[in-house]
Amino acid sequence: MVDHLFRHQYGKMVAILAKIFGPNHLDLIEDALQDTFLKASLQWRKKQPEAPEAWFIAAARNRVLDLLRQVQSREKREASLPHSAVALEIQDFFLEHEVQDSQLRMLFLACNPNFSRSEQICFALKSISGFSQKEIAAALLEKPETIKKRISRARQKIQDQNIKLAYPSPAQIEIGLQGVLQIIYLIFNEGFHSVKKDQLIDRDLCGEALRLCKLLLTKESFRSGKLYALFALLCLNSARIEAKTRGQEIIDLKNQDRSLWFPPLIKLGQDALMRALADYDDRSAYHYEALIAYEHMRAEKFEDTDWEKVLQYYQNLEDLLPSQSLFLAKASIYLQLQDPSAARAELECIDPNKLAARQYLYHATLAEIYSLENKFDLAQKALLQAIKTCSNQLEGDFLKAKLEDINKP
Amino acid sequence: MKEFMLLFLGPTYEELGLSPEELQGRMGKWFAWGNKMQEQGILKGGDALYGHGKRVKGADRIVTDGPFVESKELIGGYYQVMAADYEAAIEIAQDYPDYDLGGSVEIREVVKFER
Repeated sequence: MVDHLFRHQYGKMVAILAKIFGPNHLDLIEDALQDTFLKASLQWRKKQPEAPEAWFIAAARNRVLDLLRQVQSREKREASLPHSAVALEIQDFFLEHEVQDSQLRMLFLACNPNFSRSEQICFALKSISGFSQKEIAAALLEKPETIKKRISRARQKIQDQNIKLAYPSPAQIEIGLQGVLQIIYLIFNEGFHSVKKDQLIDRDLCGEALRLCKLLLTKESFRSGKLYALFALLCLNSARIEAKTRGQEIIDLKNQDRSLWFPPLIKLGQDALMRALADYDDRSAYHYEALIAYEHMRAEKFEDTDWEKVLQYYQNLEDLLPSQSLFLAKASIYLQLQDPSAARAELECIDPNKLAARQYLYHATLAEIYSLENKFDLAQKALLQAIKTCSNQLEGDFLKAKLEDINKP
Repeated sequence: MKEFMLLFLGPTYEELGLSPEELQGRMGKWFAWGNKMQEQGILKGGDALYGHGKRVKGADRIVTDGPFVESKELIGGYYQVMAADYEAAIEIAQDYPDYDLGGSVEIREVVKFER
């Protein structure tokens, strides 16, 4: 059976039913679907259907009839019944392109500006991606009750503000799409930049983000340089997923085993990036992040990296959206370029307390600057500070080894 | 060879609120176990049971709706298997997929008519 079949089918069925009945019935819809998947899991223990997807579609059609009855008794008003759905061939809602359309509408619904960012992410993972509250909680390192609250708040807003399953108006579509891209980017980063006990869930998040990005690409009018650039970025980063962790530790670019990088994803990312640059005029942070990732992946060894180019892309990023971690990244690039005073100038823009878990990188970078300037006393001090603030064991060991090097006469 | 009944007791997936992904994973394990026993030629039959049901009781045949026991004792399914003795049956039961969900397997020998 295909991996994640149930999860993906769940998302599809929620979307189809939400289109027929309206997103104000999402509670009812998801309860009804839970039952369908439970049944499948029991029935398929002994014998699995030859076409599982067709089985689910048939089940969803039956659910339509069940729901019609339930909605009828719940609303007790003929007027609000989806007459059109009954009049229309229900069949049509199950055509492949209709299903895709429903899912895309769900994606815009999830990114409704009336939802808070955290509600958007939870709603998307639950109703589009088919994660349970428990799974979302594990993925976002939150309590299940918190996730439950966020989802029910979002659903309440759908009720209260009568939010429909519709695309934004032509005037709003650009902004709407930006929100959608941002949510996909955030979902990906939740998976990519964290290390959890259960690493499967991190990969699931990355996979989901990629899938949603691909879904957007199916619709021609949604394609843009930004979308291709985001897709490129997700592919290029995903290609490194095997190499970037060892157990519970994150391994940085410098120390990754580059033979573990996955060439097909690099190729896919490269192609998407070329399209983003050649076929469209818009430029975004996704472009430059993808270009940075691509420069790193082009280098056979860490030492072969074209630092001048990487630096240029970071500068472009900073022009769009300055941030503390950009200064840090630029400082370490200047170090690669053997320019300690430029590195120092970048560090001076940073408040190390705002770096949270990455604070140790600030001190480690400072130590390197001092080393290049032959100020070993100060380098030693900075390294000790780095070790003190570092919670990553692999990095901590690395810093300690450095300290020993300096201590040697 | 003797025949044994394996009764699966424990909370239902419904009560546990398993996600679609988890349901697929569980289903896959059950399927693999069933296949394995089929290949070994030791599986006589069996099925999953829905959690709800009816009970008819007493001289007056009073009918009540389930569930009838605490969920950890609820029978969620059964298999009939062939095994040399209890030890072999226990070995078979090692592959039951839901121990981690608080489930258990009760093994009972089936009474056979002897000539």
